[in-house]
Amino acid sequence: MAAGSSVSAPFLTPQYHEVRRPNRSRVAILHCEDYSQKIEEIVFRGLQLFQLDLRGKSVVLKPNLVDYITGNAINTHPLLAGAAAESFRRLGAKEVVVAEGPGHQRDTQLVLCESGYAPILRENEIRFIDLNRDELIPVKLRASYSTMKRLSLPRTLVQADVLVSMPKVKTHHWSGVTLSMKNMFGVVPGNKYGWPKNILHWHGIQECILDLCATVPINFVIADAVVAMEGNGPLNGTPRPLGKIVLSGDPVAADATCARLMGLEPDRVVHVREAAKFLGNSSPKLIVQVGETVRSPDVPFSVVPEFGFLRQA
Amino acid sequence: MTNDVVTKDLRVMLARRQLANGGWSALSSSSQAALESSAFACIALNSEFAPAHDQALKFFLRIQNPNGSWPAFFGDDHEGCWATSLVIIALRDNVEAVPQRLKAFEWLVHSAGEESHWLWKWKFRTTDRHVRFDPDKFGWPWMPHANSWVVPTAFSILALSQFPCACDPDGARRRVELGIEMLLDRACPSGGWNAGNSVVYGRAMAPHPDDTAIALLALTRNAQEPVVPASVDWLEQLAPTLNAPWSLAWCILALAAHRRRVDSLVQKLSYWPQLDQVEDTSTLVVSCLALDHERALARFGVAA
Repeated sequence: MAAGSSVSAPFLTPQYHEVRRPNRSRVAILHCEDYSQKIEEIVFRGLQLFQLDLRGKSVVLKPNLVDYITGNAINTHPLLAGAAAESFRRLGAKEVVVAEGPGHQRDTQLVLCESGYAPILRENEIRFIDLNRDELIPVKLRASYSTMKRLSLPRTLVQADVLVSMPKVKTHHWSGVTLSMKNMFGVVPGNKYGWPKNILHWHGIQECILDLCATVPINFVIADAVVAMEGNGPLNGTPRPLGKIVLSGDPVAADATCARLMGLEPDRVVHVREAAKFLGNSSPKLIVQVGETVRSPDVPFSVVPEFGFLRQA
Repeated sequence: MTNDVVTKDLRVMLARRQLANGGWSALSSSSQAALESSAFACIALNSEFAPAHDQALKFFLRIQNPNGSWPAFFGDDHEGCWATSLVIIALRDNVEAVPQRLKAFEWLVHSAGEESHWLWKWKFRTTDRHVRFDPDKFGWPWMPHANSWVVPTAFSILALSQFPCACDPDGARRRVELGIEMLLDRACPSGGWNAGNSVVYGRAMAPHPDDTAIALLALTRNAQEPVVPASVDWLEQLAPTLNAPWSLAWCILALAAHRRRVDSLVQKLSYWPQLDQVEDTSTLVVSCLALDHERALARFGVAA
């Protein structure tokens, strides 16, 4: 149920408490034909395009790991998560963990096994933290788009030096798209708020994305658009191969770029447009593009009818 | 090792994991008591572990919210959450907890999914129709101010059903009936349950084993409804293929409650590698309950 889902209503007044938007943002689009062992080298070389100082820091990788349905491109691919972990280690990170609180399935171990994460985590000796059941810290929200004011959030996340959002690039029937910012819904703990994270729907999906991202800063994005999803996402859409991985230190720039790669207009996505006022840059003029150039597909991603206005003409 | 030995080992591990305040954390690496894990642990410990059980009882009574509910974790706000139903079940047979249990019972009877409100009913009937469900049939939310969902509704039905028929303040029996109707309404078209969305945007959603099992525990007296045996059949087919102990354990409990054979599943669970080292406390506890399923079902108020 999506009570409170918003399609396009604009925010009349800004509700953020501080502006973190950089003057300019860097985004790398990397070509990656398929999920293979080559992916680690691609990610490592991509990360070197950014001046990341990771020495001695704890890194939390937050993939999009929701549920499993055979044949559906629902989750961030486990090989990409493994490649990211290895690359951050090579760049000097003190500790790298993968952390997620699946939004649909209560049996996290089952999701890890069925999605192919369990062997990757085991082989690469990567610790996994179930954010649905982690220790919780009450946190005051740093924006007021929703009326929530406070959230109890996982200690692992609140205390991380570097948070890396690793979304699966998908369309979403309640929010239009689900990219690095929407991916943060997974950090809201099920043990307190339930499965799915319905309370965020009641407080407004777009509003909660903004409040969460203002409160828990995303330090880096590695978006999985090797095989994306279009149509009735986030679970029952159709796989759409794009052959891309998108990297950025700015989640707004990353999401705007992903939207363009999907043939969607980023400034028509409510949370991207609003986040561009205080969290990052969505304008191509303010984004330094490295790697490949942005090329929208000839046929934009299909979306549910309510979000037809997102598609580029 | 026999099942009894494995179960005892798990209980020993469970007692070792008890926190100084009497509760249990959700993950072994944490020191913050979580009410779901604590309630399940209390249900799982038998008379051999009376000191741990008594400590847990004191913990529950100490941290009950003024409104009669229980929080999701130690240090949480005082609004209350779905785990209240689990604590009611855990406090069963404790005479000294009767007043607190009655207060919790009252809170639970008055807790309802937001779709029970006329305004939201109207919205779900007119403008917000992409999820197929009947808002007249509502149950319990995970936390106040949200929709009803399958798992909190199933546990609330089990908790409220433990009270004597003569004791029916504020229409508790009607709430249980409505909750059962809600579960039947939210079943997946092919049988089974997920969190509570059966059809979205015209597309049937897949059931989950644990959600299905928990719903079936609350529906043991409703076997005449076609969706119930269909879901039991689905679960029975799926259970041997499961590769995660939490879901397998819930399947054992539900299948045993519906009088299906569970011997081979119990054996599979008892041989699970390093089960006592599982980080998730609730998985450890539910495994313990499944291996001693007759006792567990009695604690849930479900006759096998």
